[in-house]
Amino acid sequence: MKNEKQVKQKGFAASLARFLTHERFSGFTVSLFCIVLMLIVSSVFLLVLGKNPLTAFMSFLAGNGMAMKTSYGAGAGMLSDFFQFLNVMAPMLLASLAFIFAYRCGLFNIGIAGQMLLSGFVATITVGYMKELSPWIARPAVILIGLIVGGLLGAFVGFLKYQFNIHEVVSTIMINYIISYLTGFFINSKFVDPISRASKTVSAASRLTLTKVLIGGFYCNIPLGIIVAVVVAFIVHFIFEKTVFGFELRAVGSNRNAARYAGINVGKQIVFSMMISGMLAGLAGVTYYLGYTNQILPKTLAGMGYDAIATALLGNSSPIGAIFASMLITIFQNGSNYMSSTLGVAKEIASVITGILLLFSACGGFFRFVAKSYLDRMSDTIDVRFAAQKDGKPIGSVSDAPADDAAKKKGGAGK
Amino acid sequence: MNYINNMIIDGLAFGIPLFIMAVGAIYSEKSGITNLAVEGFQGFGAFCGAVLATLLSLNTSLGDQTILYLAMITAFIGGAVYAILHALLCIKFRADQVISGVVINILAVALTTFLTSQISGVLYGNASNKFTLGVSSRFTVPGISSIPVIGAVFTNVYPFEVIILVLAVFMWYLMYKSKFGMRLRACGENPQAVDAAGGDVAKTRFISVMISGGLSGFGGMCFAYSILSMFSPSIYLGYGYLAIAAMIFGNWNIIPTFFVCLFFGLAKAGGNQLCIRMGLASIYTDLFMMIPYILTLILLVFFSKRNHPPKAAGEAYDKGKR
Repeated sequence: MKNEKQVKQKGFAASLARFLTHERFSGFTVSLFCIVLMLIVSSVFLLVLGKNPLTAFMSFLAGNGMAMKTSYGAGAGMLSDFFQFLNVMAPMLLASLAFIFAYRCGLFNIGIAGQMLLSGFVATITVGYMKELSPWIARPAVILIGLIVGGLLGAFVGFLKYQFNIHEVVSTIMINYIISYLTGFFINSKFVDPISRASKTVSAASRLTLTKVLIGGFYCNIPLGIIVAVVVAFIVHFIFEKTVFGFELRAVGSNRNAARYAGINVGKQIVFSMMISGMLAGLAGVTYYLGYTNQILPKTLAGMGYDAIATALLGNSSPIGAIFASMLITIFQNGSNYMSSTLGVAKEIASVITGILLLFSACGGFFRFVAKSYLDRMSDTIDVRFAAQKDGKPIGSVSDAPADDAAKKKGGAGK
Repeated sequence: MNYINNMIIDGLAFGIPLFIMAVGAIYSEKSGITNLAVEGFQGFGAFCGAVLATLLSLNTSLGDQTILYLAMITAFIGGAVYAILHALLCIKFRADQVISGVVINILAVALTTFLTSQISGVLYGNASNKFTLGVSSRFTVPGISSIPVIGAVFTNVYPFEVIILVLAVFMWYLMYKSKFGMRLRACGENPQAVDAAGGDVAKTRFISVMISGGLSGFGGMCFAYSILSMFSPSIYLGYGYLAIAAMIFGNWNIIPTFFVCLFFGLAKAGGNQLCIRMGLASIYTDLFMMIPYILTLILLVFFSKRNHPPKAAGEAYDKGKR
């Protein structure tokens, strides 16, 4: 492939393939491609239901304070909606970081929902229900409890994996249900609010969201968690890219045996990465239950624990990518209520759209693979032609024909 | 005595549908496709069955029991069709199989919840999140059922329990005694060898995943009829995951898995009966609901080292791999 640098095939298929296999931004472009596919498919879906997709997507944005709604309640405005969006995004980002941390080490933390629930529950019944505590003590205490409880739970899963060879997917699922029933029992028997049927709300001092702050004439709920979440995203990025620990984690994730031969203590890495993953999930839990919802519904695992996997996938399991991915997923999840009220479609369509997006992002590797093999084949064809024409005509004139040929063959590219 | 009888009756009614879902999971994993999507398959299958049952009961004069059987067949087909998605993702698009399973589950919950409200809106005029189903009849074998303890096995039996057992025997035969089954198991251990022997790895795996979806859908419909007597998002109670746990305990073999499922069923029903017997308030059932999961975790500690999962499960088939 000596002419790879000079040869630029023309045509839509070729430029799309180059776009998807871009050396530096491949992760970003593939995700973008998935989003475009998702928009197309969900538009078709909405059209089948007889709704205007453009209105739907606009109302998703409006529900998150990124576009104007037609009317607002008293004291509410775009800004309040936007802060509400951040309120949901903070735990979502943290939860997806939790998944990423384990995933980079080759582990699937399916138990994020359970880790969130338990840490949220423990923080609620300890600090959350404690009266007369200064916010300066209560809030750090809540975060600390989240970190400790989540970390212990994660480390336990890692220990089971390392010591007893129990697959983390199975053990986390079992632990999810145990936690769900256990906390459900305690909430129902001790901490239930008779009206809402959920746990009693936590004290304002311990809540990680400042409620009803007046900004520009609008009442906003300001989440402190979003700052934590973004900072954590950059810390995780730093750990992966710049530290020995992060390098070893990634080494274990890419090839466990090679890592072992290289002298890395695989068991230790497994336990540590699960522990940190659990800590991040614990943070997500306290920002979710003591920030966003302010109470816990008994026997309900947050769907966010699973949506976080989608977010991580979409962000190409990079911490910085997760920031953008969690924004997108949150727009759909949080905007669903407003979309449902303007369009008259059940709000579950937001989950369907997320599901479709997930489906495509799961195929991300395949898209990249197809694009790459397509480009390889193209440049092979050109090499052959180039070799045939020994006198070396300008390459541009040669390359038109194979590009068109291959564009016709594109349907067969997957085989 | 009555408590023990009730425990056996309820335990079987719970354990046997769980068993057929676990058999579905075994079919997929033995062929080399990790299957976390059982939960989604069973829900989607039950959804298809429930839609048909609702349509039939509104528009025809068929009896409840005829509808039940038709609904179960539809659930089987629906689960199998939905499983195509998992098969496509794992086999054709080479997606990570664990992630694909999670995606399939999320999509199943979203799709069925959404479609339930849409369809019920069309059928009844106002959208609700459930389809109410009829009640399955139960039968008691006269004579044998009066034997103490053992008789409980033949008391108040759901007809689908018998169907499942027959189906399971057939599935066992298919997997261990037929050519297809041998290929299937080989695909999970050494797909390259199957390819070299002239078998079609992709096709075998595709069929296995579809069978897996069908069986799971059937199991889901049984739960919809027996435990809930309706279809609603509450069908996603985590029994699909429990079936996966049963499969792992049963070391990916059908017969041990059967006993594990029975054990799960009896543990669950026993917990409920114990709760009633001790005169505890209904919130305490939550504590007893944890029993199967805790037992699973503890037993896994002892059995995981000796487990032999299919070697090639979890990887997309790569022809060129040595």
